[in-house]
Order: sequence, then C-alpha cells, then structure tokens
Amino acid sequence: MGFIMDGLDAEEYDRTYGDRVLLRRIASYFRPKAAVMALVAGAIAAQSLMQAAFPVLISAGLDRVVDDRSTGLVAGLVAAVLVTGVLGWVFNFVQRWYSAIVVGDVVLSLRQDAFDAVLERDMSFYDEHPSGKVVSRVTSDTDDFATVVTLTLNLISQVLLVAVITVLLFSRDVGLALLVMAVVPVIVAMALGFRRIARDTTRRQQRSLAKVNATLQETMGGISVAKNFRQEQTIYDEFRPINAQNYRVTLKQGFVFGAIFPALFAVAGLATVVLVYVGGRRALAGEVSPGDWYLFLQSVAMFWFPLTSIASFWSQFQQGLSASERVFALIDANPLVIQHDPQPVGRLTGRIEFRDVTFGYTPEHKVLEHFDLTIAAGETVALVGHTGAGKSTLGRLVVRFYEFSGGRILVDGTDIRTVDLTSYRRQLGVVPQSPFLFSGTVADNIRYPRPDATDEQVRTAAEQVAGGDWLAALPDGLRTEVGEHGSALSMGQRQLVALARLLIQDPAVVILDEATASVDPLTEAQISEGLDVVLADRTSIVIAHRLSTIEHADRIIVLREGAIIEQGTHESLLRSGGAYCDVYNTYFRHQSPDYRPGTGFVSVDATG
Amino acid sequence: MTTARSEFTVAGHQEFDRRGPVRWILSHQRRNPWHVAGFLIGSIVMVVLNSAIPGLVGRAFDAVLGVEPDSSRVLTTIALVLLLIVVARSGLDFLARLCTEVLAKRIERDTRDELYVSLLGKSQTFHNRQRVGDLMARGANDVRQLGTMFSPGIDLLVDSLSQGIVPIIFIAFLEPRLLAAPLVFAVAFVWSIRRFMRQLSPVSARMREDFGTLNAGLNEAVRGIEVVKATGQEDQEGRNFTVNARRYRDSFVEQGLIQARYLPTLLLAVCTAGGLLQGLWLLDRGTITIGELVAYIGLLGLLGFPAFVSIFSFSLVQNGIASANRLLKVMREETELDHNEAGRSVAMRGAIRFDDVTFSYGGRPVLQDLSFTIEPGQTVAIVGETGSGKTTVTQLVNRIYDVDSGRITIDGTDVRGWNLDSLRSQISTIEQDIVLFSRPVAENIAFSLGQQADRDEIVRAAKDAQAHEFITALEDGYDTVIGERGVTLSGGQRQRLAIARALLTDPAILVLDDSTSAIDSATEDEIQRAIQRILTGRTTLLITHRLSQIRWADTVLLLQGGRLVDQGSHEELLARCALYRRIFAPYAREEVAG
Repeated sequence: MGFIMDGLDAEEYDRTYGDRVLLRRIASYFRPKAAVMALVAGAIAAQSLMQAAFPVLISAGLDRVVDDRSTGLVAGLVAAVLVTGVLGWVFNFVQRWYSAIVVGDVVLSLRQDAFDAVLERDMSFYDEHPSGKVVSRVTSDTDDFATVVTLTLNLISQVLLVAVITVLLFSRDVGLALLVMAVVPVIVAMALGFRRIARDTTRRQQRSLAKVNATLQETMGGISVAKNFRQEQTIYDEFRPINAQNYRVTLKQGFVFGAIFPALFAVAGLATVVLVYVGGRRALAGEVSPGDWYLFLQSVAMFWFPLTSIASFWSQFQQGLSASERVFALIDANPLVIQHDPQPVGRLTGRIEFRDVTFGYTPEHKVLEHFDLTIAAGETVALVGHTGAGKSTLGRLVVRFYEFSGGRILVDGTDIRTVDLTSYRRQLGVVPQSPFLFSGTVADNIRYPRPDATDEQVRTAAEQVAGGDWLAALPDGLRTEVGEHGSALSMGQRQLVALARLLIQDPAVVILDEATASVDPLTEAQISEGLDVVLADRTSIVIAHRLSTIEHADRIIVLREGAIIEQGTHESLLRSGGAYCDVYNTYFRHQSPDYRPGTGFVSVDATG
Repeated sequence: MTTARSEFTVAGHQEFDRRGPVRWILSHQRRNPWHVAGFLIGSIVMVVLNSAIPGLVGRAFDAVLGVEPDSSRVLTTIALVLLLIVVARSGLDFLARLCTEVLAKRIERDTRDELYVSLLGKSQTFHNRQRVGDLMARGANDVRQLGTMFSPGIDLLVDSLSQGIVPIIFIAFLEPRLLAAPLVFAVAFVWSIRRFMRQLSPVSARMREDFGTLNAGLNEAVRGIEVVKATGQEDQEGRNFTVNARRYRDSFVEQGLIQARYLPTLLLAVCTAGGLLQGLWLLDRGTITIGELVAYIGLLGLLGFPAFVSIFSFSLVQNGIASANRLLKVMREETELDHNEAGRSVAMRGAIRFDDVTFSYGGRPVLQDLSFTIEPGQTVAIVGETGSGKTTVTQLVNRIYDVDSGRITIDGTDVRGWNLDSLRSQISTIEQDIVLFSRPVAENIAFSLGQQADRDEIVRAAKDAQAHEFITALEDGYDTVIGERGVTLSGGQRQRLAIARALLTDPAILVLDDSTSAIDSATEDEIQRAIQRILTGRTTLLITHRLSQIRWADTVLLLQGGRLVDQGSHEELLARCALYRRIFAPYAREEVAG
C-alpha cells in the first residue's frame, strides 16, 4: 500500500520560490544530461507501448484465430507477443539503468553545491537552523529533488498508457468505452478519498498516539527505579492500561490502511463483472468482436495501477518541490560577512582594538553600541558579567563569525574586514564551552588544524597540557577513539584535547569560553594547568567562569548590557566594592574552597 | 520454560515457548486461533476464487462464440456467478486483511508486555548494572518489527505464495499439457530470484553503509562548523565530503543496474509466448476451445503478481525473526546473586571497611588493592577522575557487583554474609540522572515506601530536603502533577525531590552521586543546604565535584587509576599528598613543605 499512501504527511511549507522558478532551476541541473533524459523518456514511452501491445495483439489474434489457424498467423502472433514482451523488458532495463545514472549524477552535483554552501554560510545561519535540519537538506532533500523529475517521467508514462488504451477502446466501441471510463473517476475518487481519510485518521490518532508513546517511554524508563524501591507491581499496573490503549489506537489505524486495497480491488472486480455481461451481450449481438470484448476486459486491469499512482502524484510532486526549495534556500542564502579586498596576513602579534563598534544579532536589539576596547599583544583579559552582557559577542566579532554594523575592529592595526579569512582565522584559536571533537582518535583531533603534523609533534602538544598525565587516564592514550562528537570522553577530557589542539595550531590570539559543566577536581586542576600553558604569551580573551581564571588574569573587564562598567585586577576590583563584587557574589562565591552555603559574600557599596 | 528465579511474576500469566524465535512467535499466535484461521483461509480462498475468474471468462467467451448452446442464458449465469465470486472474494479479502492487522498488533502488545514483565522480574543487580530503560527502548523497536513482520510481511508472503501455486493448479485442471510453460516459469523464477537476491543484498548493504558514512561525516561537519571555520579547514572537509558522496553515487548506480536487470518479467514474457504457442497448437488440434485458451492466458497473467512482491515480504519476515532473537536474548539474560536468606539481618550502624579489594569489569581492571575504613555516621567524599572507580566503589557496597578478591565488611560482617534484602533496604542510592514519574509530587516522594507514608511524613522529608518551599509555591502544592503531563521542574528541584524520596526510607548508608555543580552561587547555596541535612545521622558516600563538600567532609578518598592514593581529612591530605595539593593549592606549591 506504499505508493498510494506516499506523500501523506508533506509539511505545510510556506514557499517563497514560485513553482515555475523552481522547475526552471531543477531543469538546469538536468540540462547537461538532456540527451540521456531524452533516451529515458523514449524508453518509457516505448515500454508503455509494449505494455499496451500485449492485450491488443491477443485481442486481434483471437478474432483471427476463430477462423484462420494457419501456421503463418500462429507463428506471427507468437513472435509478436515474444518480441513485444522482450522489448518491453529491454526498454524497462534501459529506462531504469539510465535513470539511476542520471539521478545519481544530478544528486551528486546538487549535494556538492549544497555542501559548498554549508561551508560558506555565516554562523548566524546556524543559529537559526538546527544542525539536523541542515544535514537533511543535503542528504534527503536532495534525494527528494531528484524524485520530482522521476515522478514526472513516470506520470507521463502512466498518462501515455492510459491515453493509448483509451484511444484504442474508443476506436473499438464507444458504448463499452464509456462504461470503462465510468470506472476511472470512481477509482481515482476512492484513492483520493482514502488518502483524505488516512490523513485525518493519522492526524487524530497522532496526538493520542504521541501521548501513549510518551507515557510508555516513561514507564519503560522508570523500570529500574521501581525495581530499586521494590515497586514492581505499581509500575506494572501503570504499564498495562497504556499498552492496551496503544493496541487499540494502532489497531484502528491499521484497519483504515488495511481496507484500501480490498476496496479498490472490489471496484475493479465489479467493473469486470459488468463488462463481462454487457460486453458479452453486445458480442452475442455482433456489435462487438470477441477480440475487442477481450480487450475491454483487460483494460480494467491495465488502468488500475496507473490511476492509483496518478492519484498520489500531486502531493508527492509538491513534496519534491518543497525539498528543492529548501536546498536552493541553503545555496542562495546571502552571506552577511563580506570581506573587502581580502589580503593574506602574516604572523600576528595579537594586538586587538575595538573602535566605536556597534553590533546586534537582530537589527532592533543592539548588543554593542559605540564600543571601545584595546587589548595589548600577549595580554590575558577575562570577561565577566551577567547573561546577555555581550561577553561571547566580542570573541565572535573578532573571529568574523558575525558582521558588525558600525565602527572598526583592528588586529595589529589592520582592519579585519580586509583580511583573507582563512589565513586570518588560522591564527585565532577558539575553544567554545563544549568543545567539538570529530570521530577518530585523540591524536586525529589534536592534529586537525595542521593535518601534516607528525606524531612527535602531536605527542609534544599533548604533554605540554598539564604534564600529559591525563593521557594515562585514557583507555588507549593518544590512540583512544573519541566516539561520535567525542562522547566516549568525559567533558573534562574533551577540554584537554581541545587545549592540545590549540597548541598545535599555535595561534596568536586565543578566544576561550570556559565550560560551566562540572568536571571532577583532578581534571579541573589539569585544565587549569593546561590553560596556564596555552594562555601564556598569547593575547587571550577569556569568558571566565572559573575562580582561578579571574584570579590570574592580567585584566578583568566587567560588562553590562554591552558596556564596560569596571576594569582592573581581581584584588583591585574586590577592594573597590562595585559591580564586580556583585558578579563575584553571584557566580564565583561558591567556587572558593572555604565556601559554606550562604557565606563568602564580599561587600558591595550601595553606590557601586 | 525459564529456570532462573524471577523476583516478580504476574498471577495467571502465560508462559511462552522461548526455545527459539519461530517457536516463540508461534506460541504467541496460538492464542489467536480464530484470527490465524481467518487470515489463512481468507487469503487462500480469496486467491482460489480469484483464479477461478479467468476460467469463467473463458466459458463466457465460448458461449459468445457459439460453442455452447443457449449462449444468452449461459452468459447471464456466468455473470451472476462472477458477481458472487467477486463479492465473496472482496469479503474474504477484507476478512483476511483485518485478521492480519489484529495478529500484527496483538503480537506487538503481547510481546511488549512479556518483555516488560521479564525485565521487571530480573534482579536488582541486573537493573543497576545497565540502563534498563535503554534496553526497553530498543526492545520497543524490535517489538514493532514483529508487528511489521505480520502486516504486511507474512500477509504478502502467503498471498504471493498462493498466487504462485493456485493458478498452476487451475491450469492443471484445465489441460495438463499446458503446464509446461508455467512450470518452466516457476523454476526459472525461483532460480532468478535467488540469483537476484544474492547480487542485490551486498550492494544494498553497501549503499546503506555509504549513506550512513555520508550522513555521519556531514553531521560532524555541520555540528562542528565552528571548529572547521575557526581552524580554516574548509578544504579538508570539502574533500572528505566529495569522496563520500561519490562513493554513495557509485553504489546507488550499481544497485540501479542490478534492479534494472530484474529477470522475472522477461521470463514471464518468454513463457507466455511459449504457452501461447502451445495453446494455439492445442487449439488447432481441437483439444481445447478458444475460451479455454483465453482462460489459460488469464491464468498465466496472474503469475505476474508474486514476482514483484516476494522480495520485500521476505526481508520483512527475516527482520522480524532477527528482532525476535534479540528480544529472546534480553529476556533470557540472567544475573543472579545469592540472596543469602540466612544471612545477617539487623539494623545497620554504617561502618564500612575495604580490605585489599580488587575488581575488574569486562577484562579491564577497575579497582586494585583498595583498602580503607569508614566510621559510622561519617561523610566520605570520593574524589577522582572519570573512570577512576568512584561509582564502582559504591556499587560494591550494596553488592551490585561482587569483588574479585579481597573483602568488604559492613559492621564487621562481610557483605556477602548479609541477607541481600536486608543489606539493600538499608542502603539508598541517589543517582546522577534523577527519574521521576508523571504523578503528583507527594506520590513521587512516597514512591520509595510504596505510598505507605502519610502526608506528615512526606512533608517532613520534603522540608529536610529543602524542597518544601518550592513545592508549596506550585499551583497545587503537593498534589501538583509533574513530568510529561504536568509541570517541568529544574534540575536542582528534581534532585531535592529525589533526596526527599530517599530520606523517607531513612537509610543507614546513603550513596549520593552528585556529579554536578551549579552555575550561580544562590542555587549552590540551596542545593548544598539540602545535602547538608541529609548527611547527618548516617554514613554517606558522596561522589562529588564540589570543592567545598570535599573540604568539609569528615574524610576524603582520593582515587586515581583504580587505586587509593590517600585517605584523610582535608588538612591531612594537604600536608602529605602532592596530588591533593595539585587540586587545592595549585599556586601555593612553594609554600607547603614537601
């Protein structure tokens, strides 16, 4: 029952591209394959004709064979049947094979375009679109894109077949032909009607099914807790009615879906009965030849499949167009970060200047306004402040992940809008809160910024981080597989790998967002030691969440709503009793080893 | 059929034959004899009726051609018979489909129930060694495969088998000599299908694999786009992607080629031509009538249906059996420790002692020569990196696992000498991932005593856990429903509910796996206050990252690589342990004497 029910849950998708525009662009991907497409189209048409030929041959043969049984006729008939059958298979072969080639090639080229676009998109694109959806645009939406064309070709062949048969039928006997035609709308209406019913049933059941599934999930997940508290009967008594409800809901759905084919089959059967009777009468009366009567009987069987697939065509087609739209939207997205006359940069020392910078993630809400800041080369600057103060923004602007609307940002005196991004970014080391690792070994990940680094260099970098004893805690040392997204390692271990990766990259500037997730004290100590090594002699912008970081930074900058409220060292700021003390009391007080709940407050001046 | 003891059984529950997947499935469906009969009879009779139609059409043909006398009446009779057949056929078709649906959904429901009961019946040991929730989720998937195996799997399989056999039987009754073509086709069909499957499966498997690789690589590049851009490695990623995408395209085209070469349609065409030739020859000899020839062609045409359907249905059945195997494996698994009914069963004081304990898991050593002593009522902070054995230490105390060598004693008696139930009922564990249920708060807290607690006790436990304030601030207070169908609580609130739940049982030994830390100090104040209350009056094993809890614990166990580096109070360790100083006094190394 697959094909009738295909495309049932196509999303409501507001489209910005018009149908015609989309079709033209889709066609442009197929244009280089025009010759092969023509071959495929021809093969489809030829196959349809061969398919229609069989009943026609039989019907013609039957009429003749009544009187004439000569060898020539028999041989001719059998040969014709054989030839059309074999040719039908040959054309089908040609069509399927070449379709596969064309579809494979088109999808490949589209995927490459899509992936190139993925690499070029700004970070703001990734803020708006979850990664899973982006991935599906490149893998499954590109597949659906190809089906638009194959669907259309199939439709053409089905329509062709139906048309040829209809012409044939009308040419033999108009009365009977009209009778057969009467069946057509019934079948189409039934197929469409069933789709409607199925969609409605599914939608109605979806909510109750979702609830049932969620509860089922919960009773399944709670099984161990129930066990630990010896509450097995309790939780089983919860499970049983849910399981029974699930049965009822899915059974209802199953009944609806299971009734479709029998219903359609019944209609076809009834049509056959009517044709046998009415057609037989007319044949008896001599108005129609027996062979023609046979043709009419066969035609019902031949209409059935094409009609039902025509019924599902439109929404499958729409689904394909929506998929194409998503792919093109990905490719066409306007880059916001634009470089003017990009020049490659040499080795940077790392002096950073913000001059009168204005920026907002959205035009209405500005995060920074006329912002000024100068960071000397090699200085370690810790940024603190409440959420939304603009801490992460500064780093992101330096790395050119976002475009700012006013002012300038200079690194070593050069405006960063005029640098070649790849060579510039290679000199910036970025460590986010939750470092991302690629699947592979620890060594592979450390080596990522410099693929040509030797094993020796990788080991040296790893050992520079906290003396390297963290490698001994890994199951296979440097050769340990990190798993998908680094999941085989703990969060703390991932951070250590990220620090080693940074050392191999040897950047001039480090932008670090300290993790807030908890890490065991020993690994925490190792991370601190690693940071000491990494941050030394490099310009560093650190979004600080650790007490040790702010205690040892060269300068602390307190931000509030995109403006610098206070600056200074840890001791000097504590003494002045201002905004820093408030931040300290909120975020850092509990990290002191002498902390007890409700203690450790530093005094804040009422005026501060 | 299981010999293992079950800790939980349902009264009047059916036992199923678990010796093998097929027997197991059959023993389940034996409970639905009417539906099985309805399905089989419905399907087969439907095919028989369907195959009778070409014969009748042939007779109508003969009537029209004047072969039969009184053609008009014969035609009317045939039309009526056909009508009856079509109606009966449709009725049986519906019956068969509906029976299949019932069979499919029932086996889903019944196996899910069986799996659930089986898991509930496993020992606490089993449950604490792995995430049973995950097992159940995977089981749910396998259960669904069992359903699909029946509908459409077996449904289509029976259909296509009968569609392949019944027309041939009808042809035999029509004229035995005409069997030549269809039998040749049947043999050739079986041969070509097997060849097709042999060629297709490895290529399909490779295509799925290539797609998986493509997807995984792409997923990584997108999720790690910041790293890619920040290190300027776009070229590297682009090259990887092209390689993967090309490989997938090649597999796809290869699969397309194999599918294009699908022979049965060709074989049918050839056999039909051959059959037609033979039929015409017999017609010429007068052995058969034209009507019979028409019937023969119609029956040959019916053989086309099995060709398309059988591969698909076959793989569904295969998947179903594989799923059944997996489910049986889970259900058969047993981890049983000796319950030691005769063991010690008194109120625990909470003195714990490890003597040279060594423990390995999966061939890997986890703990080695561990020795330490804990006095009753002490708060013990267990500190170490991930994988250093912290959690294992706590799991050895309540005998989730047993030691390989050495011994563990509680109040002087070896843990294996305690009655297992008595031991475990006096030791409570609060895990990292808190599980609560979609029920009122009060019921969640009282869950540990099986709802055998009155409201006062519940409130008292909540107050001790620092949860009372936020609970009373909820809309319905203690009757507020939380979880999927209710209010969502924050991590800290969930933790405090779990603490209240554990407090109700008043354990002698408490294990608190608290490997989190708050982002802001105010939340930290709350959580720590809650934990402080629970520490008094019992021995607590605290797996923690919070420096302050380590600082103020009665004694600290410092683990590294499965070994105890040192044990003592904060001051003692600062004085004599270099590793400890690394954690607590990293920048004061010069100040502390060697």
